[in-house]
Amino acid sequence: MADPREDRVARLLGRVAQKAEGLSQPDRREFLRTGLAFAGSTALGSAALMRNALASAENLPPNVPPWTRSVGPGVVTHPYGAPSAFESGVVRRTVPWLTASAISSISFTPLQDLKGIITPSGLVFERYHGGVPSVNPDDHRLMIHGLVSRPLMLSMDQLMRFPSVSLIRFIECPANGGMEWRGAQMEALQFTHGMLSCCEWTGVPLSVLLEEAGVKPEGRWVLAEGADGSAMTRSIPMEKALDDTIVAYAQNGEMLRPEQGYPVRLLNPGWEGNTSVKWLRRLEVGDQPWHQREETSKYTDLMTDGTARQFTYVQETNSVITSPCPEKPLMGQGRYELEGLAWSGRGRIRRVDVSLDGGINWQEARLKGLVLPKALTRFSLPLDWNGTPALLQSRAVDETGYVQPTLTQLRGVRGTESIYHKNAIHTWRLAESGDVTNVQIE
Amino acid sequence: MSRSSKSGHRPGGVIGRLAALAALGFACAGCSPPDPGQAAAPADAAPSETAPPAAESAEPGLASLATGHFGPDLEVVEISHAFRPEPDPDRAGFFGYGATPTEDEIAGWDIDVRPDGQGLPPGSGSVEDGEMLYEAKCAECHGSFGEGQGRWPVLAGGQDSLTHDRPEKTVGSYWPYASTLWDYIHRAMPFYAPQSLADDEVYAIAAYILYLNDIVDDEFVLTRDNLATIEMPNAGGFFGPDPRPDVENPLCMENCKDPADIRITWDSSSLGVTPTEHFKEMDEAASAPAAGEGVVIAMSDVDPEAGARVYAQACQACHAAGLAGAPRADDDAEWGRRAEQGWPTLVGHALNGFQGDAGYMPAKGGQAQLDDRDVAAAVAHMLRSAGVELP
Repeated sequence: MADPREDRVARLLGRVAQKAEGLSQPDRREFLRTGLAFAGSTALGSAALMRNALASAENLPPNVPPWTRSVGPGVVTHPYGAPSAFESGVVRRTVPWLTASAISSISFTPLQDLKGIITPSGLVFERYHGGVPSVNPDDHRLMIHGLVSRPLMLSMDQLMRFPSVSLIRFIECPANGGMEWRGAQMEALQFTHGMLSCCEWTGVPLSVLLEEAGVKPEGRWVLAEGADGSAMTRSIPMEKALDDTIVAYAQNGEMLRPEQGYPVRLLNPGWEGNTSVKWLRRLEVGDQPWHQREETSKYTDLMTDGTARQFTYVQETNSVITSPCPEKPLMGQGRYELEGLAWSGRGRIRRVDVSLDGGINWQEARLKGLVLPKALTRFSLPLDWNGTPALLQSRAVDETGYVQPTLTQLRGVRGTESIYHKNAIHTWRLAESGDVTNVQIE
Repeated sequence: MSRSSKSGHRPGGVIGRLAALAALGFACAGCSPPDPGQAAAPADAAPSETAPPAAESAEPGLASLATGHFGPDLEVVEISHAFRPEPDPDRAGFFGYGATPTEDEIAGWDIDVRPDGQGLPPGSGSVEDGEMLYEAKCAECHGSFGEGQGRWPVLAGGQDSLTHDRPEKTVGSYWPYASTLWDYIHRAMPFYAPQSLADDEVYAIAAYILYLNDIVDDEFVLTRDNLATIEMPNAGGFFGPDPRPDVENPLCMENCKDPADIRITWDSSSLGVTPTEHFKEMDEAASAPAAGEGVVIAMSDVDPEAGARVYAQACQACHAAGLAGAPRADDDAEWGRRAEQGWPTLVGHALNGFQGDAGYMPAKGGQAQLDDRDVAAAVAHMLRSAGVELP
């Protein structure tokens, strides 16, 4: 085989087969299943290549595989279904050294494996400040008080009786990509851009709840507080609270996952993820912000002159090519559909351009599927590749006309110590082998 | 640095680039992972001399193809209006759901404190009292002088460092308001036992952290009345409103750069600081079970001294006082009950974490850097302290 990757796959699978020798029949079956799942989880080659190499030819045409010559488990064998065992490599991952403890840490969405614009609930990146609380919804209350004429305490049943809306919106941690202000160091798409998700959220507009409580004229801010072990708080300006913020209890058609704030969370579309406070227990109306830890010590942007920007809520326009990427290299010359994701906290994506030469020349990609405000938007460019190395970039433009900037432009204004809000054009180096590497260029 | 624009660098060029980075001292960047949110090596590091691989030849080699339609493009209609009466400030209670919380109910949850002191409960605490409390409840993670253990937050120092290349953002150097210190300790600290401190303890610990930052003297007593008057060194350091968008990128489509100017300044593959085993080939050593998974450390094979040391460092905070459902080190009944599960299970829970009915044991007490054998030794130490023999 000409492709060194196929050699690598063959070696890997050879080892798997070798280890299976000498095992009892059920053990061997289990071992091979695990091995196959592992092999399927790698991006060394296409899934088809993996299965061709590992599966015995007995399962391929003209033969008929065992699953066609037998029957499988019946209904409600798994009352709540899970992904195929062959997809066990599609999981959230973390970079252990980023934080002192997994209890206050972050994991990353496997963007390299996702299709369309919806993030499956179990793959949405996690960000906890005090771990995931286990909240009994019957023992949970949402309190609304402060500068209101009618303080409210709502059970989940009472909250869910209010009229609801459903919105497809992204949530992104403002630290997404923040490890790379000084240089490229993350070796995978999952780690360069995976603090990102997009779900359908269902809940009550916060404006409806605030009107029900009767905000007093001097009420200008809302403090949102979680019921977790960090009692996470953020101050939200009233303009946003009355605009598109919702108090969400459902995600992708079912109640929230515990990791995403079960039984209820705030959702501030287009804003820093941590303003969408999870396990929401309290909303207090006040006349000024509270300057909580997560809006002074953290989530503020230090500039080179030593001053810091505060209350930088919006996630500005961003994009990244998801295929190819380090985890999904090209598998030889030929035709490919280059794909990627673009998003803007200010509204709809208007267009995305792609460069193959490090930003010298650009061509417009096609937007694909749903194009919704403050939602992930997929773009696509069909390509014919003859094996020439390239520098791949994408550049998104949103409906306000804002053009995603270069890292050099961002650094020129903000330096390299602001941690948050790095939305720069990203560069993948495509090598002759088809391998893709995260690089930065000037 | 020369800037070559030749595009002939093929895989050999990659090796050359790695060698160049190694020569510049970057090869071991992975030995000491950088701070969260920060890259591994200095920004002013010299770029490699390798030219981009495709500056000139990309176009002929990577051509876009024509596309066709599967169907008409539809304008998406998103209807996001809830059933809602006309906005009216006087219609509070229109739906009438829910209860009116009592003053007591609100007071139990209303714990936020503002810079002007609104929200502070009555009470006080001295630097002197704070020192003892801090040493018992905070120093394990934050260090006796606020210097931070491992990757836990640094609380003190860093004054005047905000314009430096490596700024140190601490309570003293960065936080604009003392109220935030009180509020945060009260709501979220100690990390494994949040909302367990009495109000006076919060005042005392906050006073001590201000003292560690030279903001108050050692005689100081922090009270509800004087907290809002404390001027933090960086009080004027924050600004708003958000000035973004703050960069303008012209929408150039052709010949936007001189190919000769393009340099690869950073290559993540030279660092090796992120997990890649899920998509890159692993060698045999790397595919062995991770520490703590299926590796049994014999009880007879642990070092008692290490056990005592690790206990003091990682376990004591919870296991001395029984915080967060942790069995107290001297509680023979509780340890006896757990010992019935057997040594491998106890060690497994200590290494990998465990959610029990009584509470939560973080993996290695939250100190991932600890050696597995030393954690096992700490388990043995606690069993010994409780006088429990394993079955």
